[in-house]
Amino acid sequence: MKDLLVGRFIPGKSLLYQLDARVKLVSLLLLLLAIIMAETARQYLLLLGAIGMILVLSAIPVRAALGSLVRMWQFFLIVFLMNAFFFTDANPLWTWGIFHLSFQGLAQGANVVVRILLVMVLSNILTCTTAPMEITFAGERLLRPLGCLHVPVEEVAMIVSVAIQFIPILGEEAQMIRKAQIARGARFESKNLLERATSLFPLVIPLFLAAFRRADELSLAMEARGYKNARERTRKRPEPLHAKDYLFLGSILLLSLFSVSIRG
Amino acid sequence: MNTMSNVKRSLVAAVCIALGVVLPMAFHSVKNAGSIFCPMHIPVLLCGLVDGWAFGLLCGLVTPLLSSLLTGMPPMAYLPAMMIELAVYGLVSALMMQFVHTKRLYADLYLSLVVSLVAGRIIAGAAKALIFAAGKYSMTAWMTGYFVTCLPGLIIQIILVPSIIVALMKARLIPNRYPVHE
Repeated sequence: MKDLLVGRFIPGKSLLYQLDARVKLVSLLLLLLAIIMAETARQYLLLLGAIGMILVLSAIPVRAALGSLVRMWQFFLIVFLMNAFFFTDANPLWTWGIFHLSFQGLAQGANVVVRILLVMVLSNILTCTTAPMEITFAGERLLRPLGCLHVPVEEVAMIVSVAIQFIPILGEEAQMIRKAQIARGARFESKNLLERATSLFPLVIPLFLAAFRRADELSLAMEARGYKNARERTRKRPEPLHAKDYLFLGSILLLSLFSVSIRG
Repeated sequence: MNTMSNVKRSLVAAVCIALGVVLPMAFHSVKNAGSIFCPMHIPVLLCGLVDGWAFGLLCGLVTPLLSSLLTGMPPMAYLPAMMIELAVYGLVSALMMQFVHTKRLYADLYLSLVVSLVAGRIIAGAAKALIFAAGKYSMTAWMTGYFVTCLPGLIIQIILVPSIIVALMKARLIPNRYPVHE
């Protein structure tokens, strides 16, 4: 639960940490689009090389970027097998009942798994090099044009930023409640499913009460200080983008366009 | 349930989003509890029932996204369908509470819960069948994934969510739906 203090953010000083969070978010979206539109081995190799370079620029431990992928190997295997054995092809290599194995099916399975892997590595790199609050503020600034359509972007950003700040607090609250209930005889580790289910009631209800109590106190404090809505908040003027931000974004844009162009 | 200030509604939505991230972590400390009991659904349903359709919808969309970014669960492959499912829970439960008034709290809650749980599953299943896994998603897979595997979670949600709401009303943390005038 202590890890939730900063999500999976790892403090650092490499080039990727110095980039504006807006640039990193837009670059992520461009690369996601390129990955979704990739179909050939050439495109995947190009994108893999690009992600490798971004990983080097980030200077984060490889385990941070790839660790979660290794733990999920069973999930990837299931996705690959489901695509490989349920792909309908005119010339299957092997058929048994509803299962059809073919080269097309194997290629489709590999396609899906590689895409998921690339997307997960990219999102890992983003969350490791960008603090959750920076991601929230960057999202708010990028979505600000939606304000013309009366979408309350500032309010949504305020809600998300408060939620992120509450996560470690409620995590500690959950730990305290859990230990208190164990002291009162709750059996969270029981092998009996029914016992395990009933032991969750004394955890969940007090946790919700504690959370709502905090929300109530915070709302009173905010209203007492004159807070009405997020649109009237003053905020620090965002820093302008620097040359390295434009250079990075331009490179990612060119790479994504090139990847899509070599699709044929 | 309509006398909370906008600030409080916003903060209730924020704590529900936070609980949607924290509860699965607490459930995952108990082996296999996460996939069976669907803990992320509880705060989203609660937000919709208590906070209104806009905040319920927001909670349903943001909770799985934030959880995926911060903890890696749900995996990115499952994220779009789960966002749609939870968004529908938050939206439909709130709309049901807005339009259904049986003068009995438990009747309103159970009706809203059941309708929103079924609606969310139908729409998420339709999204998988038409968009995310077009041509590869069967009725059997839908029934198994959304009703058989998650049956303990469904039962827990139907028992737990009204209990939490009544506890919150008794603690005067949310307004009474049908206040008793003395």
